[in-house]
Amino acid sequence: MLELKPMLSALWRNKISALLIALQLALTLAIISNIVVIVQDRIEKIERPTGIAVEEIIAINFMAIPQDYDMIGAVSADLELLRELPHVKDATVTNQVPISGSGSAGTFYTQPNQEIGGTNSNRYNTEPHFIDTLGLNLVAGRNFTDAEMQFFDPNELKEMPVAVITRQFAEKLYPNQDPIGKPLYDGNSSHPIEIIGVVERHLGAWVSWPNAGNVAFFPAVRNTQDKNYLVRTEPGMRDKVLKTLVEKLSERDPQRVIKTRVLSEYVARSYVRDNLMVKVLTIVAAMLSFIVALGIVGLTIFWINQRAKQIGVRRALGATRANISRYFLLENSLIAGTGITIGSAAALIANHYMVRDYSQPSLTLVPLAICALLVLLVSFTAALTPAIRAANISPATATRSV
Amino acid sequence: MIGYYISLALRSLRSTPILSGLMIAAIAVGVGASMTVLTLNYTISQNALEHKDDVLFAVQLDSWDINEAADATNEIPWQLTYRDAQALLRSDIPTRQVAMHRFGFTVELENSSIRPYTASTRVTTRDFFSLFDVPFIYGGTWENEADFSPTQDVVLSKSTNDKLFSGENSVGKNITLNGEPYTVVGVIDHWEPAPKVYDLNNSPFASSENLFIPFGQHRKLEIYSWGNTNGWTTGGGEGYEGFLQSESVWVQYWVELSNNEQKAQYENFLTAYINGEKAQGRFERPLKFALSKPSEWLVLNEVLSDDNRVLGWVSLAFLLVCVINAVALLLAKFLRKAPEAGVRRALGASRSAIFIQHLIESAAIGIIGGVVGILIAMMGIGGIRYLAMGQIDTLATMDWVMMVASIGLALIASLLAGFYPAWRISRTNPSIYLKTQ
Repeated sequence: MLELKPMLSALWRNKISALLIALQLALTLAIISNIVVIVQDRIEKIERPTGIAVEEIIAINFMAIPQDYDMIGAVSADLELLRELPHVKDATVTNQVPISGSGSAGTFYTQPNQEIGGTNSNRYNTEPHFIDTLGLNLVAGRNFTDAEMQFFDPNELKEMPVAVITRQFAEKLYPNQDPIGKPLYDGNSSHPIEIIGVVERHLGAWVSWPNAGNVAFFPAVRNTQDKNYLVRTEPGMRDKVLKTLVEKLSERDPQRVIKTRVLSEYVARSYVRDNLMVKVLTIVAAMLSFIVALGIVGLTIFWINQRAKQIGVRRALGATRANISRYFLLENSLIAGTGITIGSAAALIANHYMVRDYSQPSLTLVPLAICALLVLLVSFTAALTPAIRAANISPATATRSV
Repeated sequence: MIGYYISLALRSLRSTPILSGLMIAAIAVGVGASMTVLTLNYTISQNALEHKDDVLFAVQLDSWDINEAADATNEIPWQLTYRDAQALLRSDIPTRQVAMHRFGFTVELENSSIRPYTASTRVTTRDFFSLFDVPFIYGGTWENEADFSPTQDVVLSKSTNDKLFSGENSVGKNITLNGEPYTVVGVIDHWEPAPKVYDLNNSPFASSENLFIPFGQHRKLEIYSWGNTNGWTTGGGEGYEGFLQSESVWVQYWVELSNNEQKAQYENFLTAYINGEKAQGRFERPLKFALSKPSEWLVLNEVLSDDNRVLGWVSLAFLLVCVINAVALLLAKFLRKAPEAGVRRALGASRSAIFIQHLIESAAIGIIGGVVGILIAMMGIGGIRYLAMGQIDTLATMDWVMMVASIGLALIASLLAGFYPAWRISRTNPSIYLKTQ
């Protein structure tokens, strides 16, 4: 501690350089701590459970060529064919592909003829095999039966008899109640739809939708020009099955255009923006730490060279090598401490604007403290080698050049 | 003198390769990272309709639910109902007007080896091409009646014409769409506005459509939009006619109004139309509509997202750190050479000469850093294109504007960085250094 006074006066002589390093560290802390909260938030989003066996599913989209195509007949023949294929566990038909960014939604109520206070939910028209094909976990009630299936024309308004919904959606409609057997109203309709089953979770069509996870499934097939099938394969057999699908379906009926894509690719495409943010920000944070560390190394070496004579004199007057190294490391810590203090304030201010203007997550004290420690560590590591080198300056240097 | 300073600068850079390398690296990485992000944001912010920005307007009418505003930045539905679009089409005030939406067809060509495929389609009124300045190679748009009665005409994109007819003049030939024969009336040239300002609901970075068909076929083909269809109330009647008369919004609408007088006239027309509908029990919300220029439309639709802006700020802050880093290193480097400057001062060099000499040295670092920075930015853009999985391929390329901007940014950054160190060295007292020599 005796060294503190001469150290401060030495720093004062080099105040601009010291300030520049402190400023760099402050900005680095402000940037990195904000990056960390954003990246953490995105990773949490990407890693949310989907409730789906994503890696084992292939999505098929096909569009019929003739205008007067018998879609309902085609669907039952196709599903039968798909389920018979080797390595295929199950197959289903749906109006939308999960996590594809394209789908259908509606507003649902717990009372008939309501106009306000509804809950938005993603809606599927599908059939009894959907739950098994996607690997959903039915936690209460039962699945659809074939007898409950509704087939209807695109222009027909068909009332649904029953629905299976996700637990999250059930909790929003009927908090802390058993939803099984309770009614659900589609829009301002007066027709009750009975909730017959609850699945543990299903993320739905859109990953960035505020209501993602609210999903209702209806036993229905609409007679439109195009349809989606989902095919669940045995583990590891997906790519093998994928190669045969278009051919098999075209063989059965060539009058259509068929496209296939694995579900994991839909998922990757849905998270493209979040993934981009994670990667770009991580690279920026890494480069930033590296550049700042290089700057500290460069400046510390310069200072030591400048003060080679003083170091020599101190060594000649009895200072040990450890004294010299400690001096430079302590000096570095003083600068870093100043930088981190300014940086913490700057981080919180920057985060305030990030939250207010760009709807990013807020920065709490724990990640800020961790980032501060990290910046301190980078600064200390950068100063370590030059400080040890300083200790190797021989006392003779001092005597020789005077 | 300048030539002499430049040679001094280069010699000085060579004499301290590590320190110079560090500084060039700092500037290059800073410029590279910020130019990667700025290029991305710059291309995303482009307005392909800039030359008609004063005369084109996207039309929005607030026909939404009385209990709840529409989910849009200006709380007016992005699109119109079919019946409102039909009513607006009857006005003869706009110079041109377009009602349109996205659709898709399966395409077949008789006596051809081409396998049937699905093609993205725009169902639109005939003014689409003239309003958005779409150039034709062959033929032109369809007749006016085609927008009101079913006429099976089609305009092909250049790539579709290349695929189906090997780029030959195909006007008058037939293709089969969803099993029905259509006659080609025109072929447009390559036309790819990015972002796709005329249709921002369906991915602003998607390619423009392969086929364009007239607006008069909804009832015949029972067309449902392949874009967004949003509704707030059930009902509207039975069957497809019920859908057409319903409150669902799914038609995009643009008008061309050549001057303010025409615009005022059109605003009066819209006000009168909404009031007329109010009298019949529709448009229950307060009277509201919007006419947005293409530039305003891009902002309303938040094409440049919050994430893009965050990346922009982060990269600029990163560049700032790199500049501060370079200031510190330059200061170290110049002060080490202080004896040299002392000798030059003693031999008669003025303070400003020393200052300029060192500033030129900083500029040299900036230019080298800028060139390396362009290479880093190109790699960065390549990386982002890869991460974006082909979703922004129409966008992220570096044009000459951005290249010049990169060098400019590097030069400004290095001059800013060099300013204080150069000033500091020009102020040093020569006698101190002469004494120690």
